[in-house]
This record gives sequence, C-alpha cells and structure tokens, in this order.
Amino acid sequence: MAWYSRLFGGQETTGPALTARQQQLLAAWRQLPDQDMRRSHYRCRYVVVDVETTGINVKTDRLCAIGALAVVNGQIDFKDAFHLVLEPAAPADDPAEHPEPVAGAPSIDALISFLHFVGKAPLLAYNVPFVAAMIERTLAENLGIDLGLPWIDLAWVMPDLFRDVEHTETGLDAWLNHFAITSIRRHHAVSDAYATAQLLQITIASGARKGFTTPASLLDLEKARRHMHQSG
Amino acid sequence: MSNSATEMLVSACIRFLQAHPPFDRMEAEALCFLAEHVTLAHYPKGARILSSEMGVARALYILQHGRVRVRSSGGASNADSAPSTLGPGQAFAIGALMAQHPASSVYVAREEVFCYELPVDDFFTLTQKSTVFNLFCSQHIAGLLKHSQQQLQLQFAQRAAEQRTMNSPLAAIVKREPVSVAPETSIRQVVALMADRHLGSMVIVDAGEQPLGIFTLSDVLKRIVLPGTSLEQPISSVMSDLPQTLPLAANAHDAALTMAMHGIRHVLAVDEGGRLRGVVSERDLFKLQGAGLRQIRHAIDAASSLEVLQHAREDVRQLSLTMLAEGVGGQEITQFISTLNDTVTRRIIELNLDRHDLYGIDWTWLSFGSEGRDEQTFTTDQDNGIVYICTDIMDREQTQLRFLDFARDVNADLDTCGFPLCKGNIMASNPSLCLTLEEWEEKFAQWVRTPEPQALLNATIFFDFRPLYGRFNLAHRMRISLFRQTNGNPLFLRMLAQNALSVSPPLGRIRDFVTGADREHPGTIDLKKYGVRLFTDAARVFALARQVEATNTVARIKRAGALMNISPEDVAASLEGFNFIQLLRLRHQHFEQEHGRAGDNLIRPDELNEIERRILKEAFRQARKLQARLKLDYQI
Repeated sequence: MAWYSRLFGGQETTGPALTARQQQLLAAWRQLPDQDMRRSHYRCRYVVVDVETTGINVKTDRLCAIGALAVVNGQIDFKDAFHLVLEPAAPADDPAEHPEPVAGAPSIDALISFLHFVGKAPLLAYNVPFVAAMIERTLAENLGIDLGLPWIDLAWVMPDLFRDVEHTETGLDAWLNHFAITSIRRHHAVSDAYATAQLLQITIASGARKGFTTPASLLDLEKARRHMHQSG
Repeated sequence: MSNSATEMLVSACIRFLQAHPPFDRMEAEALCFLAEHVTLAHYPKGARILSSEMGVARALYILQHGRVRVRSSGGASNADSAPSTLGPGQAFAIGALMAQHPASSVYVAREEVFCYELPVDDFFTLTQKSTVFNLFCSQHIAGLLKHSQQQLQLQFAQRAAEQRTMNSPLAAIVKREPVSVAPETSIRQVVALMADRHLGSMVIVDAGEQPLGIFTLSDVLKRIVLPGTSLEQPISSVMSDLPQTLPLAANAHDAALTMAMHGIRHVLAVDEGGRLRGVVSERDLFKLQGAGLRQIRHAIDAASSLEVLQHAREDVRQLSLTMLAEGVGGQEITQFISTLNDTVTRRIIELNLDRHDLYGIDWTWLSFGSEGRDEQTFTTDQDNGIVYICTDIMDREQTQLRFLDFARDVNADLDTCGFPLCKGNIMASNPSLCLTLEEWEEKFAQWVRTPEPQALLNATIFFDFRPLYGRFNLAHRMRISLFRQTNGNPLFLRMLAQNALSVSPPLGRIRDFVTGADREHPGTIDLKKYGVRLFTDAARVFALARQVEATNTVARIKRAGALMNISPEDVAASLEGFNFIQLLRLRHQHFEQEHGRAGDNLIRPDELNEIERRILKEAFRQARKLQARLKLDYQI
C-alpha cells in the first residue's frame, strides 16, 4: 500500500509505510492545537513519561516500554494512564544486566495511540535527555514524525526548587526517598512514571508558592539552570 | 488504548486500601469501583484541604500519605474541640458529603500529603454498591451526631449556669420604671392606665414615693366587678394595704420566699429610703429562672395558684423548645418534660388536697401511657388513675366517691394547666380507674388470663403505670402482683409479643421507606405508631418477661437487655435509634405548633435531609432487630 500512503502522506513519508487510517490519525494528531503553556499548573495537562530500554546508550540501545500518566489540573487519574510494551523480537544484547526488557518492532498502532494519549501536552520526565531521545527516535523511525513538544526535566527543576534538600543518593531514588514516595515496582515504566508524577505534584505545589505557576515558568527555570551550569 | 497501566495503578490502590478499615472488609467489586474512580491529589505542608468556606463538600478524601490536622471551625472555642490528626487510610468529610453541607471542620496538611479523592456522585454510588461502606458511613454519622449532641449539651449546661440565677439581686431583675399612682386616683383611671400599658399591677404611693398599697388585675374581679364598686371611688378604697417590700439588694430567692410565705404574686422593690423602685412578679421570677430545671421546680413547688402553674407549664414548654433547638437529645428532652410535668401535677394534687380530706387513707396517684413511661412530648393528654386501700368493705363506695370528687378537681385543674382531658377517659375521675389495690390486681389478672384484643391494648397503656403522688409502695405491690400474673401465664406474654409484632418498621424493599400506611396522609410516616411504638412495645414484653420494674423504654431495654445477654453495643444502638425517632417527633411537633397546628406525628421522609434519612433508616433497622428478638423468644 506504499503508493496509497504516499498519496496521502504529506511531506514526511521517508521511512515507514503507513495505512490510510494510520495516516489519518497522524494528521489528526498534528492538527491538535498546541497547549497554552502559560496556564496554571492546576488548569492544564502534563504527561509524565518513563521508559524501559535495553541499556543506557541512546545511540545503540533500544526502547522496550513506555509508561505514561497524565497529571490533569494537578491530579492523577488512574484511568488517564498509558502503557506501551514494544513487541519482543531479538534477545537483548546484555541479558545479564537487563534480563527483562526486550526490544522489538514497535506496533505502529500502539505508537499512534501513544501520540494521541500525549496530545500536545508538555512532556515531563526525570532525566529528559535520555527519555526524550529514546521516545523521539522511536517515533521518528516508525512514524516518521518529529514530536516537537516541550520537555521538562525534573532532574533540573527539582534541585532548584528544593535547594535545601541534601541527598546521600543521586537520581530519582534520592527524590523518592526524600519524599517517602513508595514505588509499586521500581524500574517498571508505569510505576516509575507514577512515582515521577507524584514528584511533579510536589514540584508544582512548591513552584506555585515560589512564583513558578505555569509549565512555561518551569521550562524557564530549567533553561536558566542549564545555562548557569554550562557557563559556570 | 492500553489499560494495563490503569490496571497496575488501580490494583496498587486496592492493595493500599485493603490495609485500612473499613476498606479491608469491603466487597471486592465495590473496592475496585472505588479505586477506579479516585484521583490522587497532592497538598503541600500547610495547605487547606477542606474547610467550610469551600462550600458543599464535593469529594470523599482518603489519606494516602502524610498527616492531616482537623480543627473544628465555627464559633466554638478551642477548649471543647481539641484538634485531631488523621493519618494514611483515614477518610474524611463523610458527614458533610452525606448531608450535602459544607464541612464543619478545617482540614490542613501537616506535611506533604497525598489524598485519594472520590467525587460526590461516585461516593453515593459506592454507598449503594457496598453495604460495608454504607454501614461505615451510617455509623460514622451516628457517631458524629452523638458527639455533636454531647457538645451541645455541654454548651447548654454551661450557658444555663452562666445565666442569671435566683441569686441575682432585685436591682438586676427590675427592668421597667415602676408605674405608680396617688391614693386619691379614681379606680376608672387606674384600670384604664393598666389596660393601656398592659400592667398586671399598680402600686399606690404617697407624695414621698413610699408604697401605700397595691392593686392587681385579679382584684378587678373580686373587688370591683362582683361587689359592683363605683369606678369613681378612689383606688385607695380597693387596694391591698401594706404591700410586701424588699430592698433592692435582696435576691430573687428572697422574693420567691416572700411570695410563698404570704401567698402573694407581687413584691415591691424599694431603695434605702423606702421609695418604690420596681415591682417583681412571680412571672418575672419564672422568666429569670429560664433555663434552670431545678429552679423551675422550686417555683412550681412554691406556686400557690393555678395561674402560676399555667405559666410554669408554658415555661416548661419554652425551655424544652430551647433545648430542642440547641440539639439536646430526645431522651433528655422527653425526660425533662415528664419530670416537670410530674412536678406540676404533684403541685396541683397538693393544692387540691387542701380542699379534699383524704386523711388516714393510703392512696397513690398513678400515671399511665407515655406519662407512665416518662416519655412525654409536647402534645400529651392526661392518662391517670388512683389506687387506694380500703380496710373496711362497707366503706368502699363512700371512699371511692371521695376520691372521685378529688380526682375530678385535679383532672380539671390539669386541663387548665395545659394537660387536655383524655378523650378515652383514661383519668382518675373515671370510676373504673379509681380503684382499691385488690380491684386493680383483679383487673390486671383478668387481662392477663384472657388476653383478648382489648385486654392487650389495655396492657400497653396500664401496665406502664408509675406512681406520682402518695404511697408509692401501693404501686410496688401492684407491680409484684402483675409479675406474678404474667409469669404464671406464658400465653399472655406470647400474645403481647404477637401484638407488638403486628406493626412492622416502615422499611421498604425497593424504596427506603414505606409511607402509604395512612391513606389520608400519603407520603408520611406516623412516627408514633410506626416508630416509637415499635420500641416501647418490644421493651414492655422484655421487661414483663424479665420482671424489670422500670416503665421507661430506655431503662427497660437497658436492664432487660443485660438479663437477655444483648451486647451493650446492640443495646446502645437500639437506644440511639429510639432516641432519634423521639427527637424527630419532638422537632416535628414543635414545627407544627409554631405554625398553629395541632402537633401530629406524621413526618415526610422526603423532607428530611440525606443524613437524617439514613439515620432514620438505621433506627428502623434497630426496631426490626428488637422485633426479631421477640420472634425468636416466642417462636412467632
């Protein structure tokens, strides 16, 4: 059906072959209006994501699963959650370290559902460079699209908002321990996304008290901190 | 769309809930519904989660993480409502949700708090899906209600204590400038002035403001109208000379004492120079005593006329209305009304004894029915009788005639004082209720031996007898004899139980309540017939079977319950149910009377709020439990 998809596919028809239905859904997603980043945390929708991968190398490792949760008007609704497991194909290249996750050929339909789950909401993760790279590459390769949504990294925002917090550990675990947030199953994409979403709730409450009342302001905060670190 | 994420999150939520009551006992399906419909919200330290300013409660909150401080809002000082802390697994705002009211407390996050929140619509769906949860909410509310009643009673008691008492000086009681006239003023002028200013009395003073006499409204009849005195005569010709005076520093108690000693209704307050400063009437003293049960009793005991007792009766009514408005419990109010009604009745009997010589005869004034059970409400008529001892059979008829004369006067006076004559003629002036001890015993024995419908009906009225005045041991002997009869006739108790079971609690299978019982008043429930009576009838059988002497329903259930191995919790639950129904009745009667209607017992469940409907339902369930016990005991 390659000819068919070329007919309707528009400009980005370089890679994958998509059905007309899939093309339609992608077009519908593209036409969704951008979300207003200047609305209050408590009047907007965030999508918190986490991934499971075959390893930590962005270039060579592959995505195994995505867990995503919406935080709408500051609240988590369990029905507004998403789990995508990429179908297993080849065994992982490093089975000793990651026995469970297995990369595979992602289902086009599942990825499109993920896009629609996200909509045009700002995305939020802990350690964005890794999570975003994994997700965006998978989407580009399989759907031929550029996600083009703002990402907010709690790994940068939280140290700024909670300056007096000193950790003995590093990373996500440190924050979860500090706020005594218990994981359902650590390193499971949905579980980690859920835990991250709770951190986001704490973050926006604290941010709101310090004048960072919108997604855009968190983004600015993050940019400023990155800039400071790079120049310093 | 993938639901495995939702499944994972929901089952994690279920696992959390299962670790906490009442969710640990909740049905699997309902629990799943709950977990699927909550959202997780976060509140930073110090944030207000819920308070009355936020309006009608919109969600049920279940704490997932962190602690919440609860402080009762409203005018109450901190002293009577110590703040409490809620922790993970605890739910709040159930009462506000059920009543569809704003929360009465303020809930503040003490640290980072995560809360599961269930929207109000889902909350009500859940109460329907889960009997465990429903019960939890009802009990929670019953607890709240009890708590709030205790609070109110406490406040009430405090306020009563703060109020001016009989120790206040007359200077504090006398509010109005005294109106006085000179002795040569004509009767016509004085009476016109009294009518114009709505005065009950007029003081006659000399040029130096020294009181010379007093003239009261009751004097108009005796000294002017009846003798045909000319209205042009000076007031000094008909006034009472040398009125009783007290210094302004004397207290109300002194005034009451003076009135009692001299059989008068007015005392004049004078300053050091003996000049008139005010008039204190018996009525003022009543008003003053306002809230105090003991003081009203004193006043009644000291009352020298029916007029005073009439006022007293109105004071009792006013006070019980105030108590009702302040949220005092049904049991307390009915007991209060009964106690004061007893006092009024006793005083009326005493006043009549002055005119009827019953010296040398052992006798007792008995009360029956609700009065006998100490459960009078605002609308109550007379149910009374007399038992006496007649040593010589030849004197019997003569003695009875004397008692009937006496009883007729007492019945009439009671009527004057607001206890209407009994339509069914259950009164001491009825020759068949003014009997010797032996005759009463025979009457009771007759009913017990042949428990036909009329006899059973009589049992429900007369077996709740209680002595009110006279030789109480006569009543005790009647009770002993009654127990002997009922114990020897197991059939009677069985019939009485069956009679008690003839009316079922108006609980519907589909709808909450069955309201069609009275065709003339659709949509209503008669809380006397289908409410209170369910409890009193069951309690009577319990008491007679276990030889419990008490006639009061609460006392009967408590004492018989202990002998029947009913757990204290179950006893408390049924009493709460009974008291709630009584409270609804009182409130309804009050409302009806406020609107100038005769207080009936017909309430409309539709007009109750959600919380009251639920408690009423629970109350009826408690009645059903008592009935179930009767069925079990008598194999009916």
